[in-house]
Amino acid sequence: MVARQVQRSKVETPGRAWLIGLAAWAVPGLGHLLQRRWARALLLGGAEWGMCFTGLWLGGHLFRPGASDQGFGALLQLLPMAANVGAGLLYIFCWLTGSGFADHAQMVTYEYGNTFLLVAGLLNYLAALDAFDIAAGRKE
Amino acid sequence: MRHLFWMGVFAVLTAIVFGVVAKGSDRQRLVYGLKVFGEFLFVAFILGWILYFLPLG
Repeated sequence: MVARQVQRSKVETPGRAWLIGLAAWAVPGLGHLLQRRWARALLLGGAEWGMCFTGLWLGGHLFRPGASDQGFGALLQLLPMAANVGAGLLYIFCWLTGSGFADHAQMVTYEYGNTFLLVAGLLNYLAALDAFDIAAGRKE
Repeated sequence: MRHLFWMGVFAVLTAIVFGVVAKGSDRQRLVYGLKVFGEFLFVAFILGWILYFLPLG
């Protein structure tokens, strides 16, 4: 029986990659922009900002645990909130100014708006990971 | 038509992000993005027709 030795090389992740990842989360497209990936930054930033603003325009709202939510109800708000937080500074700005959290259930496109906002945040997590991987040298 | 339009917008924007973060050459990523877009529309039409025949209302 032949014993195999697997050598794993541990490559340090540069601190710059974490900063790039953070920047990519905070402002959609910025992570790629800082790495001079102009086309990717434009496409990602355009798509994600477009989804966020379209979502708000369609009557969607951002999620946060409300004062009236208790127990399991509050927990249910945390999952969509985690998705919304992916939008980065836009979510924080809306949270500080108290805008974007109001329900517009009377609008026909209300559910579309919510879906756009949720998915925009989730896609930005994906884009931030992509920017991190590029900065860490794991991806071209 | 409004629902179809917004579904199309959603599919385009999502497919762009999936295409950009995919691995491979530019051409491979373009093809992947187009594939994702097509799959979104295809699945939406199939689900739409299934729901049409279900007595939900």
